[in-house]
Amino acid sequence: MANLVIENVKKRYGTTEVLKGINITIEAGEFLILVGPSGCGKSTLMNSIAGLEDVTEGRILIADNDVTYTSPKDRDIAMVFQSYALYPNMTVAQNISFGLEMRKVPKEERETEVQRVADMLQISHLLNRKPAQLSGGQRQRVAMGRALARRPQLYLFDEPLSNLDAKLRVEMRTEIKKLHKKLGTTIVYVTHDQIEAMTLADRIAVMKDGEVQQLGTPQEIYDNPANLFVAGFMGSPAMNFVPVNVILKDDIPMLELATNSAVALPFPKPESLTAHVGKTILLGLRPEMITEPQPHKEGQPFVTTTEIEVEVTEPMGADTMILTRVNGAEINCRSNPAYPAESGSIIKMMFDTSKAVVFDEKSGERLDK
Amino acid sequence: MSNHTVGRKTSGLDKVLRFALYAVLIIVAAFYLMPFVVMLITSLKDVEEIRTGTLLSLPTSLHFDSWSKAWSGACTGSSCEGISPYLMNSFQIVIPAVVISTLLGAINGYVISLWKFRGSDIFFAALLVGCFIPFQVILLPMARTLGWLGIANTTMGLVFVHVIYGLAFTTLFFRNFYQSIPNELVKAARLDGAGFFTIFYRIILPVSTPIIVVTVIWQFTQVWNDFLFGVAFSGFDTQPVTVALNNLVNTSFGGKEYNVDMAAAIIAALPTLAVYVFAGKYFVRGLTAGAVKG
Repeated sequence: MANLVIENVKKRYGTTEVLKGINITIEAGEFLILVGPSGCGKSTLMNSIAGLEDVTEGRILIADNDVTYTSPKDRDIAMVFQSYALYPNMTVAQNISFGLEMRKVPKEERETEVQRVADMLQISHLLNRKPAQLSGGQRQRVAMGRALARRPQLYLFDEPLSNLDAKLRVEMRTEIKKLHKKLGTTIVYVTHDQIEAMTLADRIAVMKDGEVQQLGTPQEIYDNPANLFVAGFMGSPAMNFVPVNVILKDDIPMLELATNSAVALPFPKPESLTAHVGKTILLGLRPEMITEPQPHKEGQPFVTTTEIEVEVTEPMGADTMILTRVNGAEINCRSNPAYPAESGSIIKMMFDTSKAVVFDEKSGERLDK
Repeated sequence: MSNHTVGRKTSGLDKVLRFALYAVLIIVAAFYLMPFVVMLITSLKDVEEIRTGTLLSLPTSLHFDSWSKAWSGACTGSSCEGISPYLMNSFQIVIPAVVISTLLGAINGYVISLWKFRGSDIFFAALLVGCFIPFQVILLPMARTLGWLGIANTTMGLVFVHVIYGLAFTTLFFRNFYQSIPNELVKAARLDGAGFFTIFYRIILPVSTPIIVVTVIWQFTQVWNDFLFGVAFSGFDTQPVTVALNNLVNTSFGGKEYNVDMAAAIIAALPTLAVYVFAGKYFVRGLTAGAVKG
């Protein structure tokens, strides 16, 4: 177990800059997730940490040792790959012990270690099989076993669950979380799946175009996104973005909303809106903050009830998503399935702006920080 | 056959077509086999019988003395030891040439596919050009090179020529095969602590059997059947069997001994035939081998 410091790491291929100065510090035992759309540089950063690619500039420290120019095998890192990368000619047991063998661990010790890891991952019955004889989920377990066997200082997971079917992915997700709780290892985990990021991470680094957009706990990132990109990337269904005019009502800046009737929504930090009175900004509101009228919320300071016209409904079982159009933008609302909402009908909905955020329309930067 | 195809009725037309198909296949096979059959028949006749001009008729009585003469008595140029010494020469050239060119091709392919470096694609493209260089073009420069290296007219010189010339092909074979191996396999092994050759030997080579067989067959056939390099770069006592065969056929005292010529030609062709018979099924399998799934 060790901490990891990434200091101003840059990576250029010719003139294209893939990493534009990454700074991340990961505490020992922390589970950090790198998330972002494809091409954002997260895999390049991962390979740089592993030493499989050289960085152009900056430093990488593992357990306070500068490993920027250390070869991969001397960094004491294990990695789980998306394709699992199991050695096809070796049995499961040989796969798991290969790293130990390369490090000249005596045979008896290797056997004990293989058994320990196999028991932990419940793959003892597979030890004599070849990778080709395993199912996707079993290969995934073996790949994890191979990483665990060496007890390295740092684990890297490169989209390890992407090749599994939906059900297995959820199962393995829970398993990885349990494993991390049990072993308390330092993990850097790359994914493009924001649900994986939310559920697993101690902290998330959201990346885009070779830059860290925001680094924080899942809840911070969900509630308090640094910019429009982060707000739109995290959360499913995505946050609603509505262009609104800032108006003055009783000298307090409010957000004008034209649903069926024009209403002014109050904002928790009105002072941050003062500079934008008379202008149009983007209001960010999560679907679960627009619900059917809930009696217990009635009368709370940032709750506004108004009428909307239902365009389409999408029942999801636990909730029903109601799609409507506000200020020209399509928005998602999350309502109780029991609440009657026919397509084309006009219904009452409750807008809770206590957790609303606002962005600059052009730059996408948060305005109410 | 029809007993096994339950629920599927073969109409009369189907049967006719199938019959026609087999007929065509048999005719084509016979056409291809004909020269070999004639060679075999001729080698078993005596010279007198051959003169009568009954090319396709079976020998009236079997004569094996043409075979023993071809093996150890026929004259090739000035020496009369048959072609057996040259057969040995050929093996001495072919075996090291095949082993070395296959091994180097494997390492080249491994580097080009899995350890890409700046300009590795250009390097590969340049190497590919080597597949298209005609033999004749390199004769003179190679003769100079061999002389300069001091291995002109030696077995080692011929091995050297064949290794160089074969490298482009063997590299191409291995490179294409290794393209299907996921790069992550090498990354995983590097993190596990394995080095360049350990990864090659422990992980890459064990999955390479199909392409090794393909390359060995290809190289064996190419080198064994080579005549031009053999005739240009061999010394008097290092001539490969193809050159000896040519000399044998062209050397005659009195009448032409077609039976001996035929026996010698069959002996010279046997090793390549044997390689195809024993490894042929791997050849097809190797050519069509798909991705190595991990």
